[in-house]
Formats: sequence, structure tokens, C-alpha cells
Amino acid sequence: MESRLLRVNLSTGELTGEVIPHSVFERWIGGSGINNWILWEHFLTHDINCDPRGPDNIFIFGVGPLAGSGAGSGVKGRITFKSPCYNMFGDSAGGGKFPYMVRFSGYEYIAITGRAPRPVYLHICNGEVELRDAAHLWGRDTAETHALLQQELGDYPSKAHTLTISQAGEKQVGIAGVVSDALRIHARGGGGAVLGSKNLKAIAVQGNGGIRIQRPENMLAWSDDFRQRIDGNEAVYGFKRRGTLGAVEMYQHIGSHFWRNNQGNMFRGDEIRSDNWVKKYHKYSEVCSSDCFIACDGKYKIDGSESEAAKKYAGETFRRPEYLTTGSAAGALDVRDWAEVAHWGKLTNDYGIDNQDLSCSIAFLMELRERDLISDRDVAELFGHEQTLRWGNMDDIEACVDAIVFQKNPFGELFRDGPYYGALKYSEMKGQNFMKYATYGKGGASFTEEMRPFPTWMNNMAVASRGADHLKGIGLIEKFQRKDLSKIYFDGRTEAADLSTPELKGACTALVENQVALLNSYGVCLFHWMLDPAGYTPQDYYGQAYAAATGIDYTPEELMLAGERICNLEKAFNSRVGMRREHDTVCERWMWEPNPEGMYEGKVAADMFDTVLDEYYEWRGWDRESGLQTRERLQRLGMDDVADVLAADGALI
Amino acid sequence: MITVHTEFHSHFREIAATARDSFELEEPLVAELAERISARYGEKMRAMLIDPETRELNERGTMFVDTSGRRISMEDTLEDGETITFLVGIAGG
Repeated sequence: MESRLLRVNLSTGELTGEVIPHSVFERWIGGSGINNWILWEHFLTHDINCDPRGPDNIFIFGVGPLAGSGAGSGVKGRITFKSPCYNMFGDSAGGGKFPYMVRFSGYEYIAITGRAPRPVYLHICNGEVELRDAAHLWGRDTAETHALLQQELGDYPSKAHTLTISQAGEKQVGIAGVVSDALRIHARGGGGAVLGSKNLKAIAVQGNGGIRIQRPENMLAWSDDFRQRIDGNEAVYGFKRRGTLGAVEMYQHIGSHFWRNNQGNMFRGDEIRSDNWVKKYHKYSEVCSSDCFIACDGKYKIDGSESEAAKKYAGETFRRPEYLTTGSAAGALDVRDWAEVAHWGKLTNDYGIDNQDLSCSIAFLMELRERDLISDRDVAELFGHEQTLRWGNMDDIEACVDAIVFQKNPFGELFRDGPYYGALKYSEMKGQNFMKYATYGKGGASFTEEMRPFPTWMNNMAVASRGADHLKGIGLIEKFQRKDLSKIYFDGRTEAADLSTPELKGACTALVENQVALLNSYGVCLFHWMLDPAGYTPQDYYGQAYAAATGIDYTPEELMLAGERICNLEKAFNSRVGMRREHDTVCERWMWEPNPEGMYEGKVAADMFDTVLDEYYEWRGWDRESGLQTRERLQRLGMDDVADVLAADGALI
Repeated sequence: MITVHTEFHSHFREIAATARDSFELEEPLVAELAERISARYGEKMRAMLIDPETRELNERGTMFVDTSGRRISMEDTLEDGETITFLVGIAGG
């Protein structure tokens, strides 16, 4: 197994192709694992405490060996960098066709450093690489940029597939992401700001090269089996119909939404709290990637007759909103009309901006005004003119979005790095402590779901390597009370699925973080795994597909160790930039304010937080007091070299 | 004989073509409720409810909870007048 890496130095214009040798895969699997290793190596020769918006930062795109392999398990590409909004490790996944088209164009990994003297885009076509002028693209949103590039590059040897930034990325807004093919955002952590700081507007790929599968017969057999498992699962069929919007009613029932900055946890709109609207209005199906047997995606077109609000958006077409699009609009901002929710999805995608950070920043300010903690005059001071801040009002919401995307006024400038840093800066500016109204974990914006009743999810928010995050250690065993899985993973014990005890919650975070790291290294979509048609075991079943694609035979135990190794490298990065146990924490609202309503009313994170965190460190083999890694554990993972670097930085026990 | 109420959401509601129903059970057991629901709404509902290999409630992509939010199992007993809610189990996105 070998893979191709393109190194791009924007300062010098140097473009260099390299082969990533087999030995690197043996240690880091692929995808996010390889990305992490490229990041780690880069910061052995560059100052890790550099300005993430400066030329010393690196932006890496990578795609794992199963992406585009015909496995049918979905496709995810990954971007990795030092986060400009959280100033720590940063990465983000995105699906669609772009990731495997990168492979078809001749590379699996692209590492970008330096800063171009003027705006450029990177064009890769069947192994030929060129930096081209992007003056005509600068100042445009992601949809316009994608359309112009497709027009400019033509259809041979394939249509152009793109990764683009918007005006927000150009202005180095910390919560700006990058968008693939104008449809799918790599949202978290500020990858858009990193590209903007490098004057790189887009990456466009074209190609018709194949992907080498080491054991094609094995891959075909695996793929056929996987398809049958998916087709034979009625719950997967339900997911095909609704995608993640199937979560709307479940969350409404158990009280797990994030309403008005998490002052509540249920949607209020009569229509929006049911998923009937998905079936009623979203009649277009869409395949995210041609290497996916589930195809949960959908499209909508607003004809304007659906509601009073819909008139304004008549003719608008985009992807069906996912749960987090809905959670951020109908939840965090209390938008009650589906057409407005759908428009919010398109707006944030076109502007290439993380709807979680964005909605939590706006909701924070709306709550301050609602509580009369700030006056109309204070708001006018932030916006440079009179501005209302009404929950659910799209005009007010769009004024806030514009402020941040275009860095128009003090509000936009204060919140360019999300709610945590925005609230800190605004508190300082006003000489008042507003932090109890900011929702975040480890400096990252909240994930717009209710966390307080769910100790594993809460722990995920506190320890995730890229700031508050549900995907790094997604706590499905706990939230869905899967005693069957708890028994499998924890020697017959069921506590990981029991919400009433802190037992096994930290262990569950560590276990699932390792599994997810593995899946992200394969380059597959997490939903195939979450829906569990293959038994929820990335190290066993998926390991067979990995072997077919790469020719590398790992035991399940070796794969789980690789997952743990990848998590430890992200941790080591954060330890090098000074993060310790005190950073593994969550906001005051979650920690101390009782869950206000719903089935699990009254819960606070503090009930179990420290116990769960202690258990997490114990299962990780890290030092409880400092949160730092230990040489003993790193040695067991074959990471002596990493331990040496940490020791030299005083970040190892 | 007891009466148990059911609330169907998302894909369950689509299959049942109703949001609510009630079932009279000879034995106050989840196993009997699952069988009655499957018999009334057909094979698609059975596929959602019951794992064909283990004969346990299908845990994959589903969530069946009592009024306190506790996930129910085949062997659990039910109270007269109790409501069981059938949800799809998915998160994130």
C-alpha cells in the first residue's frame, strides 16, 4: 500500500509530489490518521505556537483507502490544521464526490503551507498540478465560486469538483469552513480561515484515473454482503427517507433539542417539531456519493405557497436540511417555519460557515437582550445602527450572519471565533461577566443538542480534541440505552447504557473515540456504522474491507490500537499548545443550571462530571491530575518518538 | 387483560399510518405487545420491531421507551394504561 501526497508551498509556488510509504500506513491507517501524522511532523520543524492565520500553519486534505473503493460505505474526506478559532488541533470531515475525485485526479493527500502573494486556486488534473489566478473568484460565495470553476474548467477528463471558501474564509473568520462542490461543508474548526489566510480560494480537481484495490475479489464480496445487510434493514430504509431529520421527533420526545440558547430543549413550532414536513415538502432524493448504499440525502425546492415565510424564498433549491441545520435554526434560534430553516441551511453553506458556532453566537446575544442584560443602545453600539434581536426572526438573524461573514461591525469582529471567545471579549468590553449565557465545551461552540442528561455526551464535549464535539466519541450506547452493546464492549456490564450512573461513561468515551478515529481513517461515513447493519464493529467487519482495499491484514486488536494511537496524537498536539485537565471542561449552563424541561428535567453536568472525567483519563492511561499523557501508555502504542517530543516540551508524565 | 397505548413516530408512524393506537394484552409483557403490533401492521413493522436472529427487540436504529424514558426490553412487564413510544434512534448530522 502506497499513497500519493502533493505538497504545495504557496509562498514559493513549489509543487512537489511524494509517495507515502507503506510503513506510515502500518502505523496510521489512512485518512485522518495520515493527516494527523503530516500535521505532527510539520510542527516538529515549525513553531506549534504560531499564529494559525499565519503562513506557518498547514492545511491538509486527505482521504482514506475505502473512499471511492466501491465498498459502498459512504465517503468522507478530512481537512486537518491548527484551528484559528480555538487555537488547538483542528479537523473536519465532509462527504460528497470531491474526496474520491481527489483520488481520481492523482493524489490522496494534499498538504498546503505558506501564503500566496495574491489570491490563487489549486488545479489538479490527472496528476498535473497548477496554481492559477483567482482574482475573478475572490469576493464570491461558495456556490458562485463552484459554478464559475465548473464553467471555466469544462467537462474533460471529468467535471471539476471543488473545495471552496466564501467571503468569510477570505476575511479569515475563525468559524469559516470549506465547502465541497457547493453542497457539503467541512464546518468545524475554521479550515476556511486557514485557506483564506493563505490566499487560496479553492482546490479544483479533475480526473479519470482509477483507484487501485489490492484484493478486488475480496472487496466485491464484502461490498455485496454490506449491501445486503443494508437492504435487509427496515430502520435503514427509514433513514433513507428522512436522513438525520428522523432525530427531530425522538429529541422532541425525550427533551434533547437546544432551544433558545439551551434555555429549553424542545422545539416550539407546531410544524417543525414533527418530521411530517420532511415527507410533505422534500420529494427529491439525492445521492451524496456514488459509493454509498444508504443515500440518505435529499433536495428541496420551495415553491412559495407552503407558508407565509416561504414566499420570500420561492424557487430556492438546496439540500434537505440535516438535523444540525434544523437544531441550530429551530432550536438555538427558535425559527419555526420549515422554509426558513431550509433557507438557513443554504445561507450558511453558501457562506461556508459553521452553523453551530454561528447560531450559538447569535443566540447568546439574543438571550442577553431578552434578559435586559444589554440595552437597545448596547446593541446599536455593536451593529453601528439600531438592530432588533428577535428570536426566530430571519431578518434579525441574517443581520447577525452578515455581520460575522463580512466582518461589518463590532459584533461580527467580536464573534468571529465563535461564542466562547466572543462572550469572553464582550464581557471584558462591557466590564460584566456574561459567560453563564455562553454555551461551549473546551472553548468550542456547543453542539446544538441538550447535553445535561447524558454523561458520555457531556464528557465528549469536554475532552474532544477539536473542542465541544459529538462526533469524536459519539455516545450512542448511552443515548439509545444500548445494553446489548455495553455488554459486548465491557465484559457483560450494562452500565454504559444506563443514564443513572457515571459508571463506564468515561470508558465509553475513550472506546468510541478510538472506534471513530478508525472509521475516519478508513474514509467512510459514520452513519453506516451508527445504523449498525454490520454489528457496530469498525475493527472487525470494516477491517475486512480495509484489508481488501490496502492488502494490509490487521487483527481487530491491532486496528483498535491504531485508533487509540490516532486519538493520542491529537491529544499530544493539544498538550504541546498547553492544554491540560482544566481545559477539559464545559460551560456554566451545562455544569450548574438544571435541565429545564422534558423527560430528564433537573439534571446538571456537575452531578457526574468529575467522576466521568477521572474514569476517562484512567481508561486512556493518562495522568488524572494534569490530564497529560504518560510515557508508559505512549510506549505501549509504539509512540516513543511522540513521547520524546512531549517530554522536551514538559508535556509528559 | 390490560390496555397499553402506543405512540408511533417517524418511520414507525409511516408504517402504521397512525400516530397512536391501543392494544389489549392477555399477558402484560412487552413481548406480547411487540407481537400484537407486528400482527396489526404487517411485516415492515415486524422488521422494525423484532430482530429476526435473536427474537429480541430490534435495537438497531430504533428506540422504544416507557414514560420515564427508559428503553424497554422483551422481558419487561407493562402496566395497565401505560404508554410506550416508538422512535427512530439516530443522532448528529
